[in-house]
Parts: sequence; structure tokens; C-alpha cells
Amino acid sequence: MNQLIETTVVLEIDGESVEVPQGETVLKAARALDIEIPVLCHDDRVEPAGCCRMCLVEVEGQRRLQPACTFKASPGMKVRTDTERVARHRRGLLSLYKADHRLDEAGKPVSRGVHDMLADHIATYGTGPELEPVNAPRVSREHDTNPYIQFDPDACVVCGLCVRYCDEVEAVSAITLLGRGSATTIGTADQRNLLDTSCELCGGCIAVCPTGAMTEKPSLALPTEQIVRSTCNFCGVGCQLDLHVAEVPVTIGAPASAKQTKRVTRVTSPEPGTTVNDGNLCIKGRFSYEFINHDERLKEPLIRGADGQLHPATWEQAIARVAEGLHGVKQRHGADALGFVSSSRCTGEENYLMQKLSRAAFGTNNCHQCAAT
Amino acid sequence: MEKKGAQRSRIIELLEEHGGMRPGAAREVARETGVPEADIFGVASFYTLLARPGARTRVCQGLTCMMAGADRRMQELRDSGVEVEPVSCLGQCDRAPAALDDKLELVAGPRGAISPARDDQAMQLAAEDDASYAALARAVEAGPQWVIDELKTAGLQGRGGAGFPAHFKWNSVRTQQEPVRYVVVNADEAEPATFKDREVMLRRPHLMLEGMAIAAFVAGAKTAFIYVRGEFKDCRRALDRAIEQAKPHLDELIGGLEIRIVEGHGAYICGEETALLEAIEGRRGMPRLKPPYPTEAGLWGKPTLMNNVETLACVPSIVRRGGAWFHALGRTEPGSKLYCISGHVARPGVYELPLGVTLDELVEEAGGYLGTPRAFSPGGASSGFLPMSERAVPLDFGALAKLGSMMGSAGVVVLNDTIDMAQAARWQQIFFEDESCGQCAPCRIGARVQRQAVDRWIDGKNRSGLAQVEEVAWEMNEGSICGLGMVASLPLQSAMKYFSEDFQ
Repeated sequence: MNQLIETTVVLEIDGESVEVPQGETVLKAARALDIEIPVLCHDDRVEPAGCCRMCLVEVEGQRRLQPACTFKASPGMKVRTDTERVARHRRGLLSLYKADHRLDEAGKPVSRGVHDMLADHIATYGTGPELEPVNAPRVSREHDTNPYIQFDPDACVVCGLCVRYCDEVEAVSAITLLGRGSATTIGTADQRNLLDTSCELCGGCIAVCPTGAMTEKPSLALPTEQIVRSTCNFCGVGCQLDLHVAEVPVTIGAPASAKQTKRVTRVTSPEPGTTVNDGNLCIKGRFSYEFINHDERLKEPLIRGADGQLHPATWEQAIARVAEGLHGVKQRHGADALGFVSSSRCTGEENYLMQKLSRAAFGTNNCHQCAAT
Repeated sequence: MEKKGAQRSRIIELLEEHGGMRPGAAREVARETGVPEADIFGVASFYTLLARPGARTRVCQGLTCMMAGADRRMQELRDSGVEVEPVSCLGQCDRAPAALDDKLELVAGPRGAISPARDDQAMQLAAEDDASYAALARAVEAGPQWVIDELKTAGLQGRGGAGFPAHFKWNSVRTQQEPVRYVVVNADEAEPATFKDREVMLRRPHLMLEGMAIAAFVAGAKTAFIYVRGEFKDCRRALDRAIEQAKPHLDELIGGLEIRIVEGHGAYICGEETALLEAIEGRRGMPRLKPPYPTEAGLWGKPTLMNNVETLACVPSIVRRGGAWFHALGRTEPGSKLYCISGHVARPGVYELPLGVTLDELVEEAGGYLGTPRAFSPGGASSGFLPMSERAVPLDFGALAKLGSMMGSAGVVVLNDTIDMAQAARWQQIFFEDESCGQCAPCRIGARVQRQAVDRWIDGKNRSGLAQVEEVAWEMNEGSICGLGMVASLPLQSAMKYFSEDFQ
């Protein structure tokens, strides 16, 4: 019999006691207590790097502030996140980030439509010294013509989370930390277009980027007014999607006075750890959503009439017409004259129902799924 | 995520063979090693000698060289049609203003001085190198614990800059559970104003190799790495020759030792011990978070004993003559010490003196001051500046730390009253901005903020940045991952503190 012996440690954060499994980090222990420790470079799916320095806390017995995301809890450890030293550090660090960041007209870190964690942290923790912009000498890839992913080096905090995600989660390694010192940025091999690299355009870099430096080209500056949870229908995995919906001009880029229509402006994954896809999506799930609002999309059943044209019908009429045709074939030629092929875009449940229809309702084993080999 | 069988540790040398960061080089190296192409490109872009390849003359921009007219030298070279590139300190401050030619060989200049050999020196740079490996034989005979005990008695502090007691590290690696251990020699001497390890490797390579072999014996390591600064071509040659001569002794005494020399490629930060390990492993030289320390999890995660060249060069005499003898050589702290001195003194060079001498004693050894001394930097760029009113302070680890400065690598620079201290601070801040690895924001952004603050003052008499220097320095010290970021404001802070008249 397998026996899992899990030992735990008890530590104290801001005076509150918490018990966590051995090897757990201070950050996770704090979360268990609902104590907020700000992060930029952290994502539970990749190895913690401790490089954004946002999560530094005081640990009794440690001379230096320590990153909560990497520092392991130990028995009797006393951690403080609420001291003036920690608060001053957060303000000082945020001042530096701000001086290195593209700002909007109000002097806030520019919002690119996705995560605004730097702006959020500044709003929560404040800034220290007022610093002039440093105008870091970063190179960009403005020439990159890939259709989906845009990178603004001046909206980047160089936390490298996108690079680590691309390597550790996707095992694609299309991007890298590039250059050194204040010029450090995110680049590709020989600074090529993403389409000419190992990039699979999954857009995970967008999903993890804390400041929206990586973002969806087609969705730049488009708002989110409503989020609709859905299931991706490009394959049978069942990835959950959040469809961002907003009233936008019929033609994106048209003046605001142009006719408005409600449409999907971007697709994201639900939070990691909450659904089967764990925060991940592929190129299709994340970027192929134009069909939803496409003019030629079928939105109702059509039945071809005697005139040879397709005419709108109700579902009852359409299903009756299909049943009539299939039964006719079965009567004339037998059940095995029928074949049922379901789409790879159907869910597992839909595929199951299709074979049930084939075998139980019509009595043939001629059923297939187009993605089967 | 490393692909199975990927040969990451080869990528830097292969990039060099392919001529550095040229289009297509990363793809080629990816094919040869199995490491992702983007990753390789990122590594190449980190190291100056790979990122800016090409045959050209490199002119040192270190403090001493700038004081000695590096700008003028660059202009003269340009005027004569030579392609030149300004580079961070080349570790040739005794030859200021120094330059390397298009093959990274030193452009001939005056050779710095060394102190004459005396019996109260542990290293005696002027003496003939000793290839007998008698100290190694003695160590093998007496056993590892005896060596550690002698190091403890000797009170040997790490000579790389931190001054950490050597026997702690040695003992820690020796007592690890993991049977595979490594010894790494930090010969990436790049702290501005420092050129002592260079002289050890050139004049007494066997001293260092013997210390390294004793370290390997004590630590139980079968492989030793020597990470040599890439710009020290002559040191590399001296080491290659000495290793050949050492081999029979190592085979006989400790059953052989695999010695691998890894060359640096132009990144000061790789002198930081964990950044150096990253470089050997074939990554961007970005320091690791500590703990864990290299003694527990170092090279490829194995216990690793890392020492500076000078630290190891002290070991043979400690083994031969005893820890107590070495301890007594020092004045305020144990041992004798290699002091580098440059700037406004008559005979710049490396002088081995009792640890804890004063600036005046050191300068006397170096032939006296040139002009009226006004300031000195006691231990490399990282130690900032001190006014001459502190000339009586013992140049040791403890006393300088109390002043908010540091002994560091003992690269002492004397600045006389012809130097504007704001300008001197700017030279040092440029260095730190150029050499920040860029991994953590406090250093990456802070070093640039501090450099721009002094720029604005010098170029526009604008004081706005100066008002924030202390607060930014506080954050860099608290928030940075490694020591570089922690001290990178010190030149400007100390110049403003002690020479406020240059900022009025």
C-alpha cells in the first residue's frame, strides 16, 4: 500500500500562525492566510525566479530581505510583510519600475488591455522618490509581422516570466532575455519575426505578462465589458475560454461614431488551476475567434427547397428532414449504407452522442471521428 | 527545460568559434548542442566579447585609465584610422591608459611594479615560482582535517572581496553528503583597479595551482575549473604551461586532477560566484539567489568550493610554514595581502604587505604620491571614495567596512587635487550601469538612474537627480539580488558625502 507521509511546518507571518506542507514557499503560506504579497514575475506554473523583487519580505534571522516566492517555510520561522522596511522597499522599487516604463497621459504605467499589475501595485503601495524617465536603450522588434503577438519593450518590466513560461510550460523556447543591464529586453533568435522561430503563437506570453507588454495585436486598446465563459470547440480537450465581449465599432479602427456592435474582442483562459487547461490555450483557442462574429456564419438551420435554394427553418423542421432522409436510406439499402462522421471540433460528450446515434438509433457501426487515426 | 543530451556548457566556446553573435551563429550552435536557438542568442547577447565581436582596439575606461587620459588615447587611435571601442576596466591599471589590440592582446606599455621578495610575505611574487608541489605532498601526508585546522589558525579570509573565512567554505564542502564535488578558481578579476590575480597567474601560477590542488584534495573533488578573465590572454598561456608541469605531481600525489580552464567573455558580473557558475554552465551570467550557497549547491547543483586566485595562492605557504606563521604576518587582520595601487602614485603595481597597512605606507612602497592627494578608493569601484582625512585607517576588511567602504579586492586608487570628484564618480557609475546584469530591477534601473543623476549635474548643473541618490541607493542595497547592485551607488554617494564642494 502506498503511504504518503506528508510533514508540515508551522510558521508565523505578521504574527499569525499557519501550517503548510514542508518545502512550501513563504508566498504560498501567506496566501493560505490571505496575506497579500505583491508579485510580478511569479506564476505557479513555472519555477519561481525571485527576480522582480516585488515580493521581498523580512524573515527573522536573515540580514537581507528575502523573496517570498522562493524562500522556503521552515518550522518556527517568523516572517513580516507589514513593516516600514518592506513598505519603503516596495515604494522604492515601484519608483524605479515607473521610471523605466511607458506612462500614459496621467503619468500611470500605460494600460495595454490585459494585466496592469504595475499600475495596480503603484495604486496599492505607492511610490517613493519621483524619478525622471531613464529611457533605457532597449531594442524592439517593430518589424515583426506575425499577426497575433505584439511586444512593447517599454511596457515590459523584464521579469522574464514569458521566457520561462515559453520554456518550462510550452517547451518551445522561442524567446529569450536579450542584452544586458538597462538594455535587457525580450528577444528572439537573431531578432527574427516570431513566425520564423520555434514560436507556436500560443500567446502564453500574453497570458502571463504582468504588464501587458506582450499583448494581442488584433485586440490592442479594445475594451472588455463582459466576460462569457465558454468551451473551446477546436478540439476535444475541452479547454475553457473566457470570451471578452464589448460594444465596438463594426469595423475596428473606425471612428467611435460608427455603428456599434457587440462582439468578442479577445479570448483568455480562466485562471490557472481552475479549469482543465490550467490557464493555457493554443493558437486556435486564443486567436481564432473571428468566426464568432463573421457575416457568413450559419446561425440557424437551412433547408434546401424545391427551388434549389437554402431557406431558413426551425430546428424541429431541420431535424425532421434529416431523420426522414436517413431513415429513407436505411429502408432502401440497410443500416450499413449509413456512415456517421463527427467533427474534431466536437467535445468528447458530443462525440459520444454521435456514436450513440449511429449504433443505437440507426444500428450501424459505421461511425468515425475526423481526428481519429 | 533542458533537452536530454543537450550540451549547454559548450555553447559559449562554440559561439566564440562561430565569431560571436553573428546572424546564423545561434542556429548553428543550437544544431551542434541541442540547446534552443533563442536561448543561445540570449547567452551571446550577454557577454560583451560575443555580443560585439570583431577585430578592433579596446580602450579601457576604468577610473585609473580615465585619469591617465584614456579619452585622449582613444582619440589618437581614431585619428590614426584605428577602429576603437571603449570598454570596462581591463585590469591593467598599472599600465594606464591601457588598451587591448584586435586579438585581445595587451598593447605594449610600461609594466607595473611588484614588491621585492621578503620573508614576511606568503606569496612572494618576486620569487621564483616553485613547481615542487611539496606543500601538496605535506597536505596529503597530514590529511584534510589538518589542512582545515591550519587554515582556521591562519585566519585566512577570502581575498576576492568578501573576506569570508576560508576554512568555513572548505569545511562545508568537505562535509557534504553528495560525493561529487567541484573546485572552482575565480580568476575573473575585473573589479576596477584590481590586477593582483593577474600578477599571481603570470608570475607564480604554480602557487595558485598548488593551492587549488590542496583544495581539491581537501574537498574530495576530482575536477577543478579555472574561470579566467577572457582579456587575460597572457595569464591563460602561463596557466596552460604550468598545468603541463603540474600534471605529474598531481598524478603522483592525489591520483590526478582534471583541470578545465574556462575563459570569460567580457562580463564583470561573472566575478560574482554564482554568476560565474552560470557562465561555466553555459548560461547568461546572472547571479543566483542565495541561499543555497555554492558550498551546498554550486556547479550543476553539486557542492562547490570556490576561491579567489590570491586566496588559493596563500594556501601553500600556510601548509608549509603553518597557520600561526601566516596569521602573524598580518597587522590588524591575519596574513599578508596583495595590494594593487594605481592612480596618482609614482610606481603603480602590486605590493605584498601586512594586512592592515595604511594608505601612506602603501604609497611609500609605491614611490610616493604624485601631486597633492585628495581622495582614495581603497578597494575597487565597489568601495567608493574616501577623503585623505581617512589616510590613517588600516586597509583591512573590518576597519574599512566600519567606514561604510570596503577592502574588497584591495584595488587602491589615489586621486589628487586635479580630479573633479563628480567626474570620478561618473566614471564609476558608468561602469556599474554597463556591467549590471539586468536581472533585477533595483540594479538594472537604479544603476542607470544614478548615472543619469551625476550626468545631469555635470552636463547641465541640474541637481534634481542628486536629491534622490540616497533613497535610490537604499533601495538598490535592499532590493538587489547580488552584491553588485548593493554597492553600485557607493561611488556617487561617497563622492557627494566627502566632496560636496564638487557638487555645488
